[in-house]
Amino acid sequence: MTHTLDARRALVGGGGALVVVIAAFGVAALFIVLASKNPFDTFAVLFGYTLGNAIGFSEVVVRAIPLTLAGLGLCVAFRANAFNIGADGQIMVGAIVSVALGLALPGWPSYFAVPLSLLAGALAGGLYGALAGHLRARYNASEIIVTIMLNYVALQLLAWMIRGPLQETMAIFPRSDALPPSASLDVIIAGTRIHEGFYIAAAAVALVYLLLNRSALGFAFKVVGLSAPAARYGGLKDRALIVLAMGLSGGLAGLAGSIEIAGVHRRLQDDFAPSYGITAIAVALLARLDARFVPLTALLFGVLHVGSGAMQRQIGIPFPLVWIIQGIVILAFLYLSYMRGRARAITPEAV
Amino acid sequence: MPAMTAPILSLTGITKRYPGVVANDGVSLSLQAGEVLGLLGENGAGKSTLMNILSGLATPDEGEIVLGGATMRFHAPKDALEAGIGMVHQHFRLVPTLSALENIALGDPRHTRGRLRLRPLKARLEALASELNLSVPLDTPVGALDIGSQQRIEILKALAREPRILILDEPTAVLAEDERDGLFRVVKRLAARRVAVILISHRLDDVFGACDRAVVLRQGRVAGEGRVADLSREALVRLMVGGDVAAPSRSAEHAIGAPLIEVENLTVRFGRGDRRLEDVGFTLRAGEILGLAGVEGNGQHELIDAITGLAEPASGRVKHLYARPGDARLSALRAAGLAFVPEDRHARAMVPALSLSDNVLLTRLREPAFRRHGLVDRRAALALTTSLIERFNIMAPGAGAPIGTLSGGNQQKLVLARELSTEPRVLIAAQPTRGLDVRTVAFVQERLLERRDAGVGILLVSSDLAELWALADRIMVVANGRLKGPIAVAESSFAEIGHWMSGS
Repeated sequence: MTHTLDARRALVGGGGALVVVIAAFGVAALFIVLASKNPFDTFAVLFGYTLGNAIGFSEVVVRAIPLTLAGLGLCVAFRANAFNIGADGQIMVGAIVSVALGLALPGWPSYFAVPLSLLAGALAGGLYGALAGHLRARYNASEIIVTIMLNYVALQLLAWMIRGPLQETMAIFPRSDALPPSASLDVIIAGTRIHEGFYIAAAAVALVYLLLNRSALGFAFKVVGLSAPAARYGGLKDRALIVLAMGLSGGLAGLAGSIEIAGVHRRLQDDFAPSYGITAIAVALLARLDARFVPLTALLFGVLHVGSGAMQRQIGIPFPLVWIIQGIVILAFLYLSYMRGRARAITPEAV
Repeated sequence: MPAMTAPILSLTGITKRYPGVVANDGVSLSLQAGEVLGLLGENGAGKSTLMNILSGLATPDEGEIVLGGATMRFHAPKDALEAGIGMVHQHFRLVPTLSALENIALGDPRHTRGRLRLRPLKARLEALASELNLSVPLDTPVGALDIGSQQRIEILKALAREPRILILDEPTAVLAEDERDGLFRVVKRLAARRVAVILISHRLDDVFGACDRAVVLRQGRVAGEGRVADLSREALVRLMVGGDVAAPSRSAEHAIGAPLIEVENLTVRFGRGDRRLEDVGFTLRAGEILGLAGVEGNGQHELIDAITGLAEPASGRVKHLYARPGDARLSALRAAGLAFVPEDRHARAMVPALSLSDNVLLTRLREPAFRRHGLVDRRAALALTTSLIERFNIMAPGAGAPIGTLSGGNQQKLVLARELSTEPRVLIAAQPTRGLDVRTVAFVQERLLERRDAGVGILLVSSDLAELWALADRIMVVANGRLKGPIAVAESSFAEIGHWMSGS
């Protein structure tokens, strides 16, 4: 009994993330075999296309920027034991507000317009996340359900915006006008699409690391996440902390959405960040909620997303294989944290 | 009265150890068919462990269970069920959206394997219920029923499996007065049908209302047992709270100072049935230990929460004279010099997954001593924790180890060390020695006396009267929704306080 528990603990601990990745690729290989293809060829294409040449890799980096930001946001919420499944909605709301502001400020100098519109997007995403946090803190409404539902609200809001108030002047496609250059992020490496959002994401990694691992607020998040009664006893405001964690989490997702538009698409359109918010869950979990590892796991999922196109073209393995890998990562971590909970429950402490 | 025949159940020398705690220490007891046995004891006395062993949730390290002449070894709850031991848990295990009938069918494969066969079960349950005069609506969703009905459903659920022994865990804790009488009648009828009943409780009224015999556990051992007809309330209280120990010697005289906390007309609600502890008033002074005695679950917990600002009282006032008036939040009181050792160590006083040093930070996070450049100064916390480990002789691998890996006694030492490390002016300590070994108990008590002599005002909540008697200058008692006292220990007697605690 003790032996198996120790094994479970070890799996949840250090090497767990690697085991999960290998297992996920193993299962993916199984599906590839089922599709009568060679998994080794498939993975060779997947990695060759993304890591074997500079352009492919630059696309991975472009994809990793929003995944890093949204993944960092989820680290904040998950640390406080608030299961923010709504990064997708927060990304969209952030993008909408930031584009609306960017379009409304033509002619402003970019050192003013860019930060302002990005901040507005972050704020909007933050409020959207804090709303779910408030409902959890005040009415004990499951933030999981609420954030999932708010994703659909945001999706419809976006669809309406680009067909209504924010639709392009020509009114042909369901999309907004292009942001003026003064409200856009510049490319930082010529010949690629890597943009200034890279710096913002890098700074966010450092800031979120300091927040979660070194600041009093991060400590408070952790305590609340582990035990709300202990937090109250310690003099922490457990409810306010949940709202704040959800707000910061949504804020980072909103920033991710704003940056994705200002740096890549330059205009609002349907599906500009397809399920980035769900991918960000896998990013955060695989990084074991440690901000320092988020860029790495974001790059890994960037590889999967970017490489899956080539995989589809050259081998004929359809894109959803990536979703299978992603799903396995999430399920594996849910299982592991469940097991960890059980291991704790089984371990007899005092009577 | 059951005739003295071979017992249906006998436990011999049951011992169960958990890290740092001996939960059951050589417990022996026996039970006759048709007998109602009251199992009494404070929280942590070992009742739950013993019943977990009997119901297959835990296996004993030593000892023997003989049931109906055969030696038993239960590995899972199902083994105990099959052997004829039914259990009604204190917290009901019912699906609120299902009817009583469905709930009862749920746990029993005879009715659910393949397809649901509810009709024969319903007929059987109706017969059983009418035989026992147990009024249970079988078809209403359980969630729509009151607590008493839910409990009767639990009982019926256990009886549907025709147990030889029925264990009722704190069955009266959730019931109102009249519901309790109804329960006792059901218990008597069961006994008449030769079912042996074990009724777990820490309420004396339950013993006198329903039981033939009582066994009292204290600190994992059988403290005493006897036929209820031969027992007095005072004798039972003495067994429960340790009054059979010779009253310990009183400490020397010392100066008592200015008032620190004034409680006026305070009323708090507690328990599930909206019970109240009403009109509480007392003053805690510097340099004294004021003891709050009482059988567990009489509102002490809620009273302390109201005093420490963790919960709103129903009415009344608490004045913290050492703090700035107006701000009664726990964090503000702490900053003004309050320290608080809550009774529920695992749920509140610490976070088991965090390190010792992070657990020290738990209540001291706001202090400038633990901040550097706006960030948490972990090094300062580690340094303090390391010195606390040394000063309090805490057995731990280091300040960075998760506190959950320590034994209960060492965890409590760290909590106490942390609370005393702020040099408090007021200390509220609830059950600070519960579940600890003798040496640690003495250590904790010495620290309390040391602080009292240094002028700290200490409110000590304990259900161990011997402890209060040894430490407190004045004692007050909660019983039956009222506070009695405080009375100076010098002017009272051990018997008088015990009498108050028994609620008479």
